[in-house]
Amino acid sequence: MHKNDDFGKFDFVGKIGIFGGISALLVFLSLAYLMVKGINYGIDFRGGTEVQVRFEGAVNIDEIRSNISKLNLGDVGVQGFGEKSEYVIRFQGKDTGSDKEKNEALNESITKIKNSLQTSFAEQKPEFLRVDTVGPQVGAELKRNGFLAVFYCLLVILVYVALRFDYKYSPGAVICLVHDAIITLAIFGMVGKEVNVPILAAIMTLIGYSLNDTIVVFDRIRETEGHYKGKDFSFIINKAINEMLMRTLITSGTTFVSALCLYLFAGGTVSDIAFAIAVGIFFGTYSSVYVAAPSILLMEKLKGKKAYA
Amino acid sequence: MESYRLRMSLGLVGLALAFIWVLPNLVNVENIKWLPHDKLNYGLDIQGGLHLVMGVDVTSVVSESTVRLVASLKKEFENPTVGITIKDVTASNPGEGEITIMLASAADNAKLEKHMNDIHGTVLQSLKSTDNTHIYRYFDAYLTDYKNRVIQQSIETLRNRIDEFGVAEPSISQQGPDRIMIQLPGVADAEKAKQLINTTAKLDFMMLSEDPIAGTLPKLVEDAEKAGKYSMATMKYSEYIDRLNKDIAGKLPPQTIVYFQKRESATKMEMGGMPFLLKTDTGLGGEALDDAHVSFGQYGEPEVALKFNLGGTAKFGDLTGNNIGKSMAIVLDRVVKSAPRIQTKIADGNARITMGGRDRNNTMEEAKMISTALRAGALPARLEQLEERRVGPSLGADSLQKAKVASLVGAMIIILFMLFYYKAMGVIATLTLGVNIFSVFALLTNFGATLTLPGIAGLALTVGFAVDANVLIHERIKDELRAGTSWKLAIQEGYAKAMSAILDSNITTAATATVLLYFGTGPVKGFAVTLLIGIATTLFANVFLSKLIVDTLVNKFKFQKLSV
Repeated sequence: MHKNDDFGKFDFVGKIGIFGGISALLVFLSLAYLMVKGINYGIDFRGGTEVQVRFEGAVNIDEIRSNISKLNLGDVGVQGFGEKSEYVIRFQGKDTGSDKEKNEALNESITKIKNSLQTSFAEQKPEFLRVDTVGPQVGAELKRNGFLAVFYCLLVILVYVALRFDYKYSPGAVICLVHDAIITLAIFGMVGKEVNVPILAAIMTLIGYSLNDTIVVFDRIRETEGHYKGKDFSFIINKAINEMLMRTLITSGTTFVSALCLYLFAGGTVSDIAFAIAVGIFFGTYSSVYVAAPSILLMEKLKGKKAYA
Repeated sequence: MESYRLRMSLGLVGLALAFIWVLPNLVNVENIKWLPHDKLNYGLDIQGGLHLVMGVDVTSVVSESTVRLVASLKKEFENPTVGITIKDVTASNPGEGEITIMLASAADNAKLEKHMNDIHGTVLQSLKSTDNTHIYRYFDAYLTDYKNRVIQQSIETLRNRIDEFGVAEPSISQQGPDRIMIQLPGVADAEKAKQLINTTAKLDFMMLSEDPIAGTLPKLVEDAEKAGKYSMATMKYSEYIDRLNKDIAGKLPPQTIVYFQKRESATKMEMGGMPFLLKTDTGLGGEALDDAHVSFGQYGEPEVALKFNLGGTAKFGDLTGNNIGKSMAIVLDRVVKSAPRIQTKIADGNARITMGGRDRNNTMEEAKMISTALRAGALPARLEQLEERRVGPSLGADSLQKAKVASLVGAMIIILFMLFYYKAMGVIATLTLGVNIFSVFALLTNFGATLTLPGIAGLALTVGFAVDANVLIHERIKDELRAGTSWKLAIQEGYAKAMSAILDSNITTAATATVLLYFGTGPVKGFAVTLLIGIATTLFANVFLSKLIVDTLVNKFKFQKLSV
């Protein structure tokens, strides 16, 4: 049995300054990155076409580029994908004209690209693995639905936390979520991945997961608070977190391993979802300790209580 | 002990249900009647295929219809017997079916109102009249119904086209007010499918042949089918029609062809078609028709009113004049929709099709069906492709294979860790984790849900969440043991105290998943469904069942301690 003044192995509260600073810096950098570069939307939200093609023989990416540039489809991006001789061709189509014209243009372009690649690289046997076309109307709608989804998701969670816990926990929970979501989005952009509908779904799940982690910590802090009435709040936080440490590491670890395996082995959409989740879990775990806890401490301080012994 | 028994029964029932629901995926149970036969559906991203979202240009159809209405009104007022002099008739808001009639003088106001009420009262409502200007608009209910019918007709036309294409399980459904979603699993030739989808419907008016051989048609068809060993049920309708007509051409009079009408009782043509012998030289089609709508006869009985355009009126006048007493078939995309009898010569281009006297609901339905078929030919709704997703079969299979491997590797690592770290309790956790995954598949199958690639990610996450619940419980038990509690009590306390955290985390995840389910489309919906089901099964297997197993071991089998 622990002694009453023994809060456990690590003095988390004592290092709040350092980690709080790091977190603030990370969020600041991520925000700056997102503001300069913008969120890297994929075709689901921007509208456009993506063609994924695999060649049996070896094909040089420059050959594909020069081949497609002859078609005059505007700005076309060609990227290697996964295994060798597999490429993704992306384009937005026309910038001007009515939605209807844009739709038709996208539609025609697919056939043009297909025909062009099939004739120019007949020997390498192109196989069209996937074609995605999202017209401007659907793109705008997906974007709207996406924002609404994130909004309602946050709303539902906030209401739940407010009902379930003391008001002093709510800001911490929200700061955690925002912290995790922003950093994940920025990292996603930095590694050059695009945000499509499934990724948005992943980030929302992540919001749920990160919150889950935070709630478990809160739950324990609340319980510890009951056991050690009158004890200093930083002691309570330290004690709660130390007691929870194994649990936090193990559960985050298991979900992280699930996600990591999917990221490494699954490929395609699943791999992207898993990447977002793995990154998010990492920061979510960290934030449930180093962002959530200090924010409660801050709330306590604001209330005028003495936080440090 | 009562509650233990109850829990035991619940647990066993749950397991049994999960087993029964999963079974069709594992073994062939076609021959066992009392078992469910549903198998797990795979999303288009896994089985490959074509997903299209088409916008139906309803507004153009309404506009075109309004413009035609204006033209026909002008023609009506030219008739001296009507006795109304107009300055102009314009389509003031064609998209909403709004027209403006300007009279030469306000003296004709009463006459116009009477005329409009008598002739167009079922369709047009007076919106505003000032001085000599009268604004009329389609009744709101009529317009809504009209728009709806345009969509329904487009879906119907698409369905017929796609049946032609021979897709195993096509799904065509309305999405929002003016969109149609088409999913064609396993279609390899997307270009051809798209081409087929974008063809407009073809409407023909064809006279029934009076040749005596028409009476023996069913027998002729039956003989030809027997001789050639084929039937409508096993072929595409168009191929069947081509084949049949080739086979019996020698026995038919020249310039005739056999088409079928769907029998009233049949939901699909293959379940019962009635052959018609039709003349191919009638030469009257959808281009001759202006509009068609349901109207009401003098006793309020539903009928279909047809309006032919200028060119069509003359042709139709000749046709009806020469064929009084004979039947004329309305044929849409080579399917006979109706074959009314011509009662009199119709020279003014306004025809009415009266229905047979059955109950009112039936005749109303039939009138609606015929009028939409006519309109589909006269005013085909243009479709605009808004979204397309094409997945080649090899990519889907490839992704599934990779995702399976990835999930298995992840699960293995987690299981090894649980066994190593939590020993006996780890064994129970692993066991219940197995039940959990099994139950997810069972529920997915039973709900008729679709497993998509993001859904597999959801499944892998479920494993993570499920283990999370067990870790919470185990760590609690350890806490209790450390605090010196007896083993039996530690277990009780461990489960009880972990519950609040487990519920919190699962409820918040469920909340996110519900929002996703509501806003998401396709694969994302699959992800949300899997997550939601995963939460339910986690609570069942990793919490409820695991407690049940531990209780059984301790109380029934008198285990003194389980390592944790």
